[in-house]
Amino acid sequence: QDLPLGQGKKYTIGSITVTGAESYNEQTIIAYSGLSKGEEIFIPGDRLSKVLKKLWDSNLFSDINFYITNVEGDVAHLELEITEVPELAEVRIQGISKKRQTEELIKENNLTPGVKVTENLTTTTKNYIENKYKKDGYLNAKVVVSTSPAVDTTGANKVNMVVNVDRGDKVKISNIEFNGNEQLSNARLRRALKNTKQKNFFRFWKRSKFIASDYEEDKTNLINKYKEKGFRDARILSDTLIRKDNDNIAIRINLEEGNRYYIGDIEFIGNTVYTDEQLGRALGISKGDIYNGVLLKERIADPSDPDAADLANLYKNNGYLFSQINPVETRVYNDTIDFEIRIMEGKEAYFNNISVVGNDKTKDHVIYRELRTKPGQKYSQQNVIRTLREVGQLGFFDAEQISPDFQNVDPNSGTLDMQYSVVEAGASQIELQGGYGGGGFIGTLGLSFNNFSLSGIFDKEAYKPLPMGDGQTLSLRAQASIFYQTYSLNFVEPWFGGQRPVSLSTSFSYTRQFFFDQRRRRADKSRSFDILGVNVGLAKRLRWPDDYFTLSQAVGFQRYDLNNYNTGLFTFGDGFSNNLTYTLGITRNSEGINPIFPTTGSNFSLTAKFTPPYSLWNGVDYANLDQQREFQLEDADGNLLNADGLRLRPGDEPVGDRGKIDQEKFKWLEFYKIKFKGSWFNTLYNFGGNSNLVLRTHAEFGFLGAYNNDRGIPPFERFFLGGDGLGAFSLDGREVIALRGYPNQQVVPMDRSTISQASNNDGATLYNKYSLELRFPITLKPMASIYALTFLEAGATYDNFRDYNPFLLNRSAGAGIRIFMPQFGLLGIDFGYGFDPIPGSNAGPNGWETHFIIGQQF
Amino acid sequence: CSEYQKVLKEAEPGEKYAMAEKLYTEALEEDSNSKFRKAIRLFEQIVPQYRGKPQGEKVTFLFADSYYHVGDNYLAGYQFERFVQAYPNSDRVEEAQFKSAKSYYYLSPRYDLDQTETVKAVAELQKYIDAYPNGEYLEEANNLAADLRVKLEKKAFEIAKQYHKIGDFGVRGENYKAAIVAFTNFINEYPGSPFREAAFYYRFDAAYQYAINSYEYLMKERLNTAREYYNNYKRFYSEGDEHFDAIQASFNDLESRLQNL
Repeated sequence: QDLPLGQGKKYTIGSITVTGAESYNEQTIIAYSGLSKGEEIFIPGDRLSKVLKKLWDSNLFSDINFYITNVEGDVAHLELEITEVPELAEVRIQGISKKRQTEELIKENNLTPGVKVTENLTTTTKNYIENKYKKDGYLNAKVVVSTSPAVDTTGANKVNMVVNVDRGDKVKISNIEFNGNEQLSNARLRRALKNTKQKNFFRFWKRSKFIASDYEEDKTNLINKYKEKGFRDARILSDTLIRKDNDNIAIRINLEEGNRYYIGDIEFIGNTVYTDEQLGRALGISKGDIYNGVLLKERIADPSDPDAADLANLYKNNGYLFSQINPVETRVYNDTIDFEIRIMEGKEAYFNNISVVGNDKTKDHVIYRELRTKPGQKYSQQNVIRTLREVGQLGFFDAEQISPDFQNVDPNSGTLDMQYSVVEAGASQIELQGGYGGGGFIGTLGLSFNNFSLSGIFDKEAYKPLPMGDGQTLSLRAQASIFYQTYSLNFVEPWFGGQRPVSLSTSFSYTRQFFFDQRRRRADKSRSFDILGVNVGLAKRLRWPDDYFTLSQAVGFQRYDLNNYNTGLFTFGDGFSNNLTYTLGITRNSEGINPIFPTTGSNFSLTAKFTPPYSLWNGVDYANLDQQREFQLEDADGNLLNADGLRLRPGDEPVGDRGKIDQEKFKWLEFYKIKFKGSWFNTLYNFGGNSNLVLRTHAEFGFLGAYNNDRGIPPFERFFLGGDGLGAFSLDGREVIALRGYPNQQVVPMDRSTISQASNNDGATLYNKYSLELRFPITLKPMASIYALTFLEAGATYDNFRDYNPFLLNRSAGAGIRIFMPQFGLLGIDFGYGFDPIPGSNAGPNGWETHFIIGQQF
Repeated sequence: CSEYQKVLKEAEPGEKYAMAEKLYTEALEEDSNSKFRKAIRLFEQIVPQYRGKPQGEKVTFLFADSYYHVGDNYLAGYQFERFVQAYPNSDRVEEAQFKSAKSYYYLSPRYDLDQTETVKAVAELQKYIDAYPNGEYLEEANNLAADLRVKLEKKAFEIAKQYHKIGDFGVRGENYKAAIVAFTNFINEYPGSPFREAAFYYRFDAAYQYAINSYEYLMKERLNTAREYYNNYKRFYSEGDEHFDAIQASFNDLESRLQNL
């Protein structure tokens, strides 16, 4: 019964029956429809239409009808007739032999048994598979999807699906022809087609596939190429695909080039902030230039590069967010075009409310202090971009997902709100290692929390699972084997006090080593060597001379305790040594932009490390210790001994006890150390994008000295040159300096070259090193950055300034590669050839060395 | 227990329903988390099967309520929200609406983290308050909502205060200027806040610091702005208020500087 809508009459629903339901319960369908017995509705009316729409939207039915079966007064009995969409019983894919591909297709199209086989499903499956093959170059791929009722024992409404795939042959482009081009050569035009290439034996990287969407894009690229050359009116008259045979097609493009145009007068209209001259300079295009439509657009606004120095950014970086710039051709005569660049500057925009969302762990104060955009500040696109970069560099968030959202942009009041959304990323690392080495099992447990919250450690609520979010770093490390244990703890607060970025770092470490009995292969617990170390440092970013400078200070203390243990460092086996130092450093780091592959800038550091000059006031005469009774060699009964270790006889001179003398000398270590390092990065050549050939020039220098020559320079804190520069397990505060092409730590001071025995390697007190490195990036993707390098290096160590000769160096050259992955840090391998012999050996050039690099060393 | 395992694995929905309901009732009496968890595992299985059937209403409610009792606030909030949508005519919809809101209340994190959940909880509580002006939980709902609003106010206040705190850092005066704008926004946006007095004070102090740390030719104008903020403070607050003495002392200095200019 069809009734016009306007004559809807009010009925009470007496009953609802459902017919045609197969897999669904009748009640379920009624409940889903929302209709209930006793409800008052208009028939026909809005309510029933909505119910119908709701049922249709469920995609479960292929037909839905309402009937009134009976009317008693104003009580209506309804019948809901439905036809269910069949379910998929089984799917078969024909025409593909590989099982894995079949499974993939089923998965990608979600053709699992039980899904509803709607019209939509069959169409999307067909299109999906066809497009998939076309993308791989199977231009003639055809897919037919058919269904047939399935015989099912339960009698349910099911169908089988057969997907027939005929992918055809792979089609290649044998030839691309151009007609009508006089000004630009065929080869040049073919180059302009970036993703549509003709077949060529030498083409390995990009295959000559035909993909329709890429081709369309390439046609625009082709016209843009003409526009760049001043052919403003160039157009494609027609283009044809010609089928050569089953697996080859040819493309023919008919062109009309039109005339070449030149730029005439450029006039700026509406500019009050900048003068015509300033804008003209920023535009960089002047009268008489070839008319380059693409460049002109880019110079005005380049949406592909938010950092570009175009006109739009000139305004936007200085607060004119609402500015609009339109170039208009005002006159075309002969081959010359006059322009007007019409500028609507609009009101200056100011930030009003700045907010951050998405910080589930990191506390507000850690983020807000890094934001470069502030409430009340004039709008600057540059500051927005800098904020994104710097918040990304914190390492607490996924740098790819930080985005600025402009909110409440109000041209009338000239204000806008900025909301940065961030996504927290895991900032903690766990290192758990076990291995066999040094005569036994070595286990390492390292934990580092890069977004720790010290204030949260007493707050039970904050443990989720650990107190996080104050931007502090806490790392703990323990390493143990059968004969030594070492524990360390580091803590860094980057904004100590919260008012400015003064970083406070503290570290604590403890090492206990037992004598390892080689013969019995076990540790002798009665003989031990303990080192306790504590360090506290402050580093402050400076504003003067510029904001790349950092001033750092640190106080460190180390105590070495020996218990019947001869390390080779000391001449005594029982005793102790303290090392209290103050370090002052100034660094200037302007390396940019990518920290892994800097292309510009430089990095200098100058540090000075001192101990107090105890010998100035402690009154000990270090020159004549062996003349003093308490430092002379004696036996167990306290009788003095002579040089032969026998009781002193008349006429014998008592001799000093080296152990006692050294104990006195090293009770408190006394030295000062000056170091300088400098690196410069220069881009020699840019191959486009961020493929820069970069030269890194590096020089470094270090000197360890004593205040009191009688006391001498301690055997600690010395310089060891050579090899990969990786800090070995060292007890004596040694500085390991890389010099490729030579074995690790083996480049001993030059003056010792006369000594035939080079193993007398107790470190140097003076060194210098120079290196030149050429770097070229292979890829700089965030997932993995890889670059190749070649280097020239030279360095040498000395025992004192008398021997210092900046031209007598150990030289080397070589090449290598570096891979940086965020999870692993920097890894690399270098091959270096040492041109000079290791001092002390007369063996001629040192020859090839292979170095494995872990972490940033060079 | 083995019976539970058997029902969990094999039984048909009716049996599972009966056992789940029994577990739920017992859990409610004994306040036993483990029984609630057991019930949840059963409900998980049968809720989809009863959807659209007459028992669905009760099952869905008990399911959500079990989550609520074990303190799984995220799922409780979500399930109660679904219940309210699916059964708007149910007798227990008021309770469900309130418990949904309260679950979101528990999810709200500390003030200095992202407050998406807080905003959601306030909206849900407000929904309850609007729908049941004479509701059973009205007082509690109002208290909870007030709690969360203070939290949002604290967030805004602390952000503004940080600009004041880092005033000496960065581009000259930029952070003090930011503090002034942020406190002004705060004062306009949260008229009844407990931090209002402090906001007025800090806005003055930011303006005062901004002025005295600026070049001489700008100082007069900026001191006058600070004076205006002082007057704003005085309009609402007087002796005995928390920052009165501090603002008075700074203001005296400000006056003497203005006279000496």
